[in-house]
Amino acid sequence: MERSFKAEVAKLRLGAGQTFTGEGILAVTKALLQSGVSYVGGYQGAPVSHLMDVLADARELLDELGVHFEACGNEAGAAAMLGASINYPLRGAATWKSVVGTNVASDALSNLSSAGVVGGALIVIGEDYGEGASIIQERSHSFAQKSQIWLLDPRPNLPSIVDMVEKGFELSEASNTPVMLELRIRACHVHGSFETKDNVAPKYSRRNPIQKPVFSLDRIPLPPANYTQEKHKIDVRLPEAIKFIQREQLNEFFAGDLRQIGIILQGGMYNTTIRALQQFGLADPYGESRIPLYVLNVTYPLIPEEITRFCSGKRAVLVVEEGQPAHIEEAINSILRRADINDPHVIGKDVLPVAGEYTGEVLLNGLAAFLELTLPDGVDLKAVAAVRDSVAQAKTRAAELLTVPVPTRPPGFCIGCPERPVFTALKLVEKELGGIHISSDIGCHTFSTLQPFNLGNTVLGYGLSLAAASAMGPNFGKRVITVMGDGGFWHQGLTTGVANAVFRNDDGVLIIMENGYTSATGTQNIPSSPDLPVREGSPISIESTLRGLGVKWLERVYTYEVSDVADVLRRAMSTEAKGLKVIIADGECMLERTRRERPVKAKQLAAGERVVRTRFGIDDDVCTGDRACIRLSGCPSLTIKDSPDPLRTEPVTTINSGCVGCGLCGEAAHAAALCPSFHRIEVIQNPSGWDRFMHGLRQGVINVFGGAK
Amino acid sequence: MTRTYTILVAALGGEGGGVLADWLIEAAQHEGFPAQKTSIPGVSQRTGATTYYVEMYPEKGARPPVMALIPSPGAIDLMAASELVEAGRAMQNAFITPERTTLVASTHRIYATSEKMLPTDGRYDVQKILEAAPQVAQKAVLFDMSRLAQEAGTVINAVLFGAMAGSGALPLSREACEAAIRGAGKGADASLRGFASGYAQAASTPLGKGGGERSEPGDLTAAEKSPPTPLLQRGETAPHSPLYQRGAEGGFLQREEQSDRVRREFPAPLHELLDEAVARLADYQDAAYAASYLDRIRGVFAVDREAGGEAGGWRLTQEAARLLALWMSYEDTIRVADLKTRASRFARVRKEAAAKEGQIVVVTDYLKPSANEFADILPPSWAARLRRNAGTGRAVKLRTSDISGFLAMRLMSAMKPLRRRSSRFIEEQALIERWLGAIKRLGFAALDADLSLEIVLCAKLVRGYGETWRKSRAAFVNILDTLVENEQAVARGADALKIAIRKAREASLTYEEVKPSAATAKGKPVIWMKQG
Repeated sequence: MERSFKAEVAKLRLGAGQTFTGEGILAVTKALLQSGVSYVGGYQGAPVSHLMDVLADARELLDELGVHFEACGNEAGAAAMLGASINYPLRGAATWKSVVGTNVASDALSNLSSAGVVGGALIVIGEDYGEGASIIQERSHSFAQKSQIWLLDPRPNLPSIVDMVEKGFELSEASNTPVMLELRIRACHVHGSFETKDNVAPKYSRRNPIQKPVFSLDRIPLPPANYTQEKHKIDVRLPEAIKFIQREQLNEFFAGDLRQIGIILQGGMYNTTIRALQQFGLADPYGESRIPLYVLNVTYPLIPEEITRFCSGKRAVLVVEEGQPAHIEEAINSILRRADINDPHVIGKDVLPVAGEYTGEVLLNGLAAFLELTLPDGVDLKAVAAVRDSVAQAKTRAAELLTVPVPTRPPGFCIGCPERPVFTALKLVEKELGGIHISSDIGCHTFSTLQPFNLGNTVLGYGLSLAAASAMGPNFGKRVITVMGDGGFWHQGLTTGVANAVFRNDDGVLIIMENGYTSATGTQNIPSSPDLPVREGSPISIESTLRGLGVKWLERVYTYEVSDVADVLRRAMSTEAKGLKVIIADGECMLERTRRERPVKAKQLAAGERVVRTRFGIDDDVCTGDRACIRLSGCPSLTIKDSPDPLRTEPVTTINSGCVGCGLCGEAAHAAALCPSFHRIEVIQNPSGWDRFMHGLRQGVINVFGGAK
Repeated sequence: MTRTYTILVAALGGEGGGVLADWLIEAAQHEGFPAQKTSIPGVSQRTGATTYYVEMYPEKGARPPVMALIPSPGAIDLMAASELVEAGRAMQNAFITPERTTLVASTHRIYATSEKMLPTDGRYDVQKILEAAPQVAQKAVLFDMSRLAQEAGTVINAVLFGAMAGSGALPLSREACEAAIRGAGKGADASLRGFASGYAQAASTPLGKGGGERSEPGDLTAAEKSPPTPLLQRGETAPHSPLYQRGAEGGFLQREEQSDRVRREFPAPLHELLDEAVARLADYQDAAYAASYLDRIRGVFAVDREAGGEAGGWRLTQEAARLLALWMSYEDTIRVADLKTRASRFARVRKEAAAKEGQIVVVTDYLKPSANEFADILPPSWAARLRRNAGTGRAVKLRTSDISGFLAMRLMSAMKPLRRRSSRFIEEQALIERWLGAIKRLGFAALDADLSLEIVLCAKLVRGYGETWRKSRAAFVNILDTLVENEQAVARGADALKIAIRKAREASLTYEEVKPSAATAKGKPVIWMKQG
């Protein structure tokens, strides 16, 4: 685990009337306990990882309450877990990163929503959409809509979010329907506070198990129940949900003096919209808006009566709906026409972009365009235009002054990452073979597709890289290489990929990056993690799993030995052996390793023990600056500086103090026969008497020959 | 009515931007201000560029206002950047506006992969950012925070926090900021030191006012991109100096003679550079070798003079002198062994590794000499035989700080007197003469300084080691063969030739990419076992 969550766990114990201060996603975690959940599961991924991390560290508290927590095998597993709420009054929650996690979970989600639930079922989805997103950009809204799962999108402040969690369970039970709570990435990480309530021990739990099974054919998706389930969703559950949402006033109306117009917005868009209004002088710091607002904390289902009430008598309404297709805008149009309300123009994706994140700038421009289009009385349009234009001018001016856009800085492998050397070797082998097709997966190793490696031709999903190579294998002139992380392997690569490839005797090469954790999501444990705590289960070896499946060609290689990795790749690519050839690239995540080793070394150092610190260096008078080494690495600590040689005008390559001494530079210099500039520097701290004696001896001899002091 | 105060922090993964945001929140709470922060963690934390956004309402005990989770262009009060290009990115996104933004940024550079992977100088021209800063911001405070962080033994976030507070823009007292750092516990003392030095520097940095007056671009260190400093000032760190001062081959007397000759035969703007080159070559081989260098440069200088090069500051001679000196001191194993066993090298390594007094430093060199490298230093007839069976070389990890490793290297460097008879020496001298011959021949014929310069600059290609060197050198020879010495190409006129040479040279200076999906590896004896 990347860090300890002890302080956060303490916050989960806060009782009635106390104040919780912290991250949005942790507020959700606390709200789950306040809602009396019997079980929580999920699959890690930004931005919901911390929900899982904190609960994993909160075993004691969960035991006291009797709450079952589980880090599930994947999102489908997490969604299936909610099946416990179908027949029994058990409240449960599942969490994952969306939209990708929802994709994986969708089989279970369809079955769950079709059967319906008795106990409240809440799905907390972290939307990785917009700036910094590392996944495909799609809406989770469509899933909610097609499966009739109610979708909550609360205003992004902690009290609203917590309230929506609690109300979400009630809504779920009132309408026998699972509910999704959608939180954008910044809402998950927003730091705020709310007044806590006591945690509620669930009525039924590990401590008080259900004694009698419930059987009802109505809950099984076979004919005729599957037909009645669909009708039940529309005829019974939807009206119940609408009734509950209206009665509990989950959506919010904010009055304003500019009554000719109005804004209908997703709850999650509230703060950004208010900021744009503030910039135009149309709202005060506390959010008092001159334009009336109708805030949808529930974005599905919509409440026709509320929409018609808000829109009646208005000249125009702006719909602020992030993402596409424009489900809400279209629904509002349809609701108004059906109610025969034809006055207000419904404006949305005509002034706001159809696709992409609704940032402050996007809303500023969209709102200005809306006002200019609708000409409400009492708005100084010149002032509005001036604000909008000043931003545009600032951009133009910066572009003129800079003349060239600054270089982009995408994420990459950490310093000392054990996965980097594999791609160094792959790059070398690729040069010999003249181009290979590489099927990539999801994980830190996806960075191999970026500079300087540019290795990896497709990414089809988490753990799906081997399956994605299955049609490439027979249709490509060389063996296809597949890269998969150990996280992806356990997520679904084992069954979807490996089992099938072995069964069909596929002739491909699979590299499994065994770094021990799901590192890209924050180094959570997986079944093969090296130091798995007892409570999480007994470790399963990937190697024996593969052998058990019948993989015959299997080699393990230590990743930092670039020449060895290149050799095993060559062997795998040229062997006459048929069937899947698996290379386990073994190297523990450097983040985890340093986190573990640093305190130990610091203690040894303080105790006066002999500790060797290693880093690498480049002789700047030997380096000629061709940068072949950088193109085979991309390590942040391998960089450039002005040449100290007055005759060289171009920079030389250098290794900065960030180096952790992983050894890739030296090994790459060897494997690729680069240049003689690289050297390993070992600093012996607290040297022993023997060290000092030998050092003196060496220095004596070296001095005689005119060398070092 | 009070306005919400907005702070955007741009940082790179691992620089402690998250901790800085925490400090800001703590300090705001200390002051009794409502405050909020957001970030976009996830993979952007893995070394990429990322931002942290903080809002606070600077009114003691106020009820929390509606605070935004996402920064809006034109609505940022304080823009902090832990690196200079990140400040440029903030400008580009209009997060710095003259009406309200104070920019606090470090001037040091952390290069993006795209900047550092090119075989040439791909660095972004940060001068543009330094010049733009005082024009686009209301106030700009720029200085090298990385250096201050190192001096204080802390991370850059502490210095940046100090600079934000010291800029006077932050609505938080110094006490509140320091209390926030202290409250965070771990490493607080070092952070407070960093904070103090950042605070002091920012408080004493003259501020640029928006839209005119320029602020000082801070103290750019020599390690950053800057116009080349005068040669002589840098000479003290030049690799040749220590040996040379010991009076090894060459000696002071000869050096003075050479220096006199430089002054007699060349105009003043060239003296510094030629002195440097002469010293290097005397150190590399001997005084006679350095003298032959001056003979060669005279030829180029004659072309330059004929073409009226004085007006351009003798650029042709300057470039030729620089590149020829580098070429003539090409890095064979003798040279590498020599450089790696100098006392100055061990001192440099100790310094780089930040080894403290009493700590022992062990240096292990990663070498991969192949038969080719040995052939280079053997006479031509032996070399040919050896090259025929040259493999990819043997990976050697040589402990140069050990007696045996050091002596092995020293022995290699002692072969310097034999270099003149080595195969590579003979080959390089021949190619140099070919190059110089072409510069002179075409130079006098066309009297076009630009054309001569293009040919001169081709010598950039002759560098590197092993395979990289062989490929690059082949590209150089190819330019001579197909353009410079090709009658048809020359007949097309100086202008066409110039462009053709530049294009060919630049093409060779981009790095090689493997063409994806070549159906089979042509000419490679790899057996492909297909299914079925």
